[in-house]
Amino acid sequence: MKKSKKLILAGLVLSALLAGLSGCKGKEPQKEEGETKEFVYVPEYVDIDIECDYIYAMAAVGDELYMNAVAWDDEEDERHEFLYKYNMLESKGEQLPIALEGDYNVAGMAMGSDGNLLMAVSRYEYDTDENGEITDSRSTLELITVSPSDGSVKNTMDLTEVMGGGENAYIQQFTVDGQGNIYLSDGNSGIHVLDKDLKKICDITTDNWINSMLASNEGDVYISSYGETGMELKMVDLAGKKLGEAVQGVGGGFGNREFFPSVSQSFLVRNSEQISYYDLEAQATQDLYKWLDVDINSENVNYMGELSDGRIWAVTRDYEASASTSGGPEYELVLLSRKDAAEVAEKQEILYGTMWLDSNVKRNIINFNKSNSQYRITVKEYVTEDFQSGITQFNADLTTGDCPDIIELSSLDFSQYASKGILEDLYPYMEKSGINKDDYLENILKAYEWDGKLCGLIPRFYISTSMAKVSQVGDVTGWTLEEMLDFAETKEPEQLFQGSTRDGIFYYCIYNNIDEFINWETGECMFTGEGFIRTLEFAAKFPEEYNYNEEEEREGIASQIRNDKILLMQNSISSVQEYQMMNGMFGEKIAFLGYPNSERKGNLIQPTGGCMGLSSKSDKKDGAWEFMKTMISKEYQDSFSDERGGGWGFPVRKDALEKQFEKDMAPEYYEDENGEKVEQPKTTWGWDDFEMEIMAATQEEVDGVKALIVSAEKLPGNSNDEQLTNIITEESAPFFKGQKTAKDTAAVIQNRIQIYVNENR
Amino acid sequence: MHFSIKGKKEEGLKLKPLKKGKKSGSSSQRTRKGKLISAGYLFPSAFGVLLFFVLPFMIVIYYSMIDNPISHEFVFFDNFVSVFNNSAFQQAAKNTMAFSAVAVPLAVVLSLLLAMMLESNIPFKSQFRTFFLSPMMVPIASVVLIWQVLFHYNGMMNEVMGLFQQDKVDWLNSSYAQVVIVVLFLWKNLGYNMILFMAALSSIPKDILEVAVLESATPAQTFFHIKLRYMSSTILFVTIMSLINSFKVFREIYLLKGDYPYDTMYMLQHFMNNTFSRLDYQKMSAAAIMMAIVMVAIIGILFLTENYFGKDVEG
Repeated sequence: MKKSKKLILAGLVLSALLAGLSGCKGKEPQKEEGETKEFVYVPEYVDIDIECDYIYAMAAVGDELYMNAVAWDDEEDERHEFLYKYNMLESKGEQLPIALEGDYNVAGMAMGSDGNLLMAVSRYEYDTDENGEITDSRSTLELITVSPSDGSVKNTMDLTEVMGGGENAYIQQFTVDGQGNIYLSDGNSGIHVLDKDLKKICDITTDNWINSMLASNEGDVYISSYGETGMELKMVDLAGKKLGEAVQGVGGGFGNREFFPSVSQSFLVRNSEQISYYDLEAQATQDLYKWLDVDINSENVNYMGELSDGRIWAVTRDYEASASTSGGPEYELVLLSRKDAAEVAEKQEILYGTMWLDSNVKRNIINFNKSNSQYRITVKEYVTEDFQSGITQFNADLTTGDCPDIIELSSLDFSQYASKGILEDLYPYMEKSGINKDDYLENILKAYEWDGKLCGLIPRFYISTSMAKVSQVGDVTGWTLEEMLDFAETKEPEQLFQGSTRDGIFYYCIYNNIDEFINWETGECMFTGEGFIRTLEFAAKFPEEYNYNEEEEREGIASQIRNDKILLMQNSISSVQEYQMMNGMFGEKIAFLGYPNSERKGNLIQPTGGCMGLSSKSDKKDGAWEFMKTMISKEYQDSFSDERGGGWGFPVRKDALEKQFEKDMAPEYYEDENGEKVEQPKTTWGWDDFEMEIMAATQEEVDGVKALIVSAEKLPGNSNDEQLTNIITEESAPFFKGQKTAKDTAAVIQNRIQIYVNENR
Repeated sequence: MHFSIKGKKEEGLKLKPLKKGKKSGSSSQRTRKGKLISAGYLFPSAFGVLLFFVLPFMIVIYYSMIDNPISHEFVFFDNFVSVFNNSAFQQAAKNTMAFSAVAVPLAVVLSLLLAMMLESNIPFKSQFRTFFLSPMMVPIASVVLIWQVLFHYNGMMNEVMGLFQQDKVDWLNSSYAQVVIVVLFLWKNLGYNMILFMAALSSIPKDILEVAVLESATPAQTFFHIKLRYMSSTILFVTIMSLINSFKVFREIYLLKGDYPYDTMYMLQHFMNNTFSRLDYQKMSAAAIMMAIVMVAIIGILFLTENYFGKDVEG
């Protein structure tokens, strides 16, 4: 009996231990607190059918949205302004002509107590000379009463005196309270209040910059501004003719928040991450949803509010799409309905783990989530306070089996994670999806290989390099540290490159190529070698910190380069046009040397727009790959090619790159007075004192860029390994102060780094 | 006689079968109840020990036998072999052993001497006691700051040496570094050990010491044959505590020189700390187990020694 009890007890202990062990290896990602929601918000995208270039002001009155918009009339070559009224419940829009004359800017719109629309405008008047040149300008501030049914102007009131009458006065914020009183704020933190009969009630001033001013659902007007402890929301107290005490529960410290009108609560509050209600009575916020959960890019939200049926609406404009397509702005209305989670079709969630969410990746995630019916990407951003705590949390997730399905590698040590087998080989996935790896730049794929496996995927890249005149260094594509030091020491320039400091020299000579000093195979460190000691002595010639006070007095950089006062230019090349500009700036042929390297291959590949790895522990690899492959899809890669020259990195797909080159080489023409086609500049680029018109690229220039791209084979060295940089910085300080010799300093550095190397072998 | 006693016992058993039966029933109930109550009281502690000591150790054993904490492939003793052959580990083990071999005996002997000195009738006894205890009250971060000022390349020690026309020594970046750490360790720990020895000295029975004096024993004989024997358990305790503290000297070194100090200051805990932060849990666990085995062996030897020398004065 006793024996059996002991056995049971032992069994229980053993099972507890095994449970603990299995907890360490759990494969299922843990659901975050509150992840299982009872309700979800479902977006519905509505085309508001407005053809305009820009919407100056919006005002919601009940379920109707009034927009003051401007469109450029190509035929008449003039701007055309109009009022657009859109009923969000009935999805009906109506354009109202607005008879405002002259040049004006609408600062705000609100519905007055008499049912007319009030518009606060700044009107500009100009004096011109006989040639039509502007000699003087004046602005007047006006409050215009407009009929919401036909857009006719019913009344105009000059606000210049009301607003203080100063020359630089302008209308910053404008709103109307529940009693019909009109509130205007100027740019000097002054609030001016008129009653509904347009008679002045009072002026109130505040010490802080007014971020926003709007009426709550209860009918009072509140202003938001940054106080000593963060953002504050204060009521405008008309009886006391002052601002009330800051309300509690707004939260969020100094983070950016905007307030919008609400129907069911006092306000809607939005920040870049989520949207919440704010209740004045409870003095508390209630979080509703995250922007990414409803497939909205928070950066695109222009205005928002709440409908009488409880739906939340937002007017968005895809700025990126507008910029890249060179078309008009694409305004869209999104209606968000609250639904039972059970009613909404469930998708498999793929977790995307990143230190910070890149704006391009964010856009791609939203597009993917909108279009894919099977999978949904959710994002976990690890850096909430500081980078190190983000890394610690990420590592903890890795080891407890809570690893994201897709790992953003941009801010991580690629080799560290690849060597641990965390990253899945992507070549088989490419093959399975019918993606031919030969269609992509070989050197880029190779750079993200580990033991022959493709462990990282990037959509775009640029080349990090350093440049010098061919007449100075010869027609070479790289140099060793000794060659670089020989050259720099002979020339004795004022600066090696712009803003040279000791740290800058270290980054250039050592940190970006730290593996030059470490043989990981044998564990040998070469910090006591001649190269490192010479670098120490060379760096000592430069200041510890760059003197920015001399910035204004100094000669322009192009001039310094041309006069050999600066020998090198450290920069990245991300487009053919940038390459053309660099050539122009140097004024002669350039050698793209990169960073000193024993193989003379110092040009480095820098990813941009995301760098993703697939977790080998993910149980949704296929879903994760569905998203990852969009990064290198032909459609997405082609979307990078840009008439205006790109400048955001080269695509990794060969044909997309060629397409971009074709665009770069295509000349642009205009017709002169004789009707003849004359080539015109594609754009203008500038740097400091240098400016140049960029013409269509020549074949030689494109070949130069191609050669530069092919020459880059490596990713930046372990320069983000703080351990190494800390040791070098700490131990070189006594040398720079003249307390130790370079040899002794190098010996200590060698000793300390040797331990690091031994540990990591 | 022997049989008669046995007979009496048997007789007794025969005479009171019913009573005994009743008694044994209630007593076994009481015993069971008592055991249950004991188990109830013991459970929180036992559960805590299992949860916070046994379970983590089992996890460490598990991690020491897998390739890495992500793929969890079983590799048996490969990690032990690889860690044992790792030159950083060898360096750390050598330094840790050398440090403990020097610092622990010094910490025991010097504190014992101090305790005996303060036990004798010297002037300013309590002031000295406070003086030796004061390092315990200073936060370690402040201690390290003081040490940095003292042993910096331009610090006070080199200034003093300069007065005697001696060359500057890079105390923290040379083979002298371990000397600095030994001094720091002694400065920090002597006071605590001294108090323990003073308590042990005061608990030695006075009559035995008086008898020794009457028997014309020399002070050395009294010390080695009486005091040392009576203090053997305290010496063992102080040695074990000092040994454990010598492994904890990492904290001071870390604050002085970070994760990667000069090689003579690189300890086993550096190795474990650094491998942990790089997700090499398998290396860390293998190193920890090897260190634990050595610790258990050393402490076992210490117990045997104490048992041998101190058995005749115990209980």
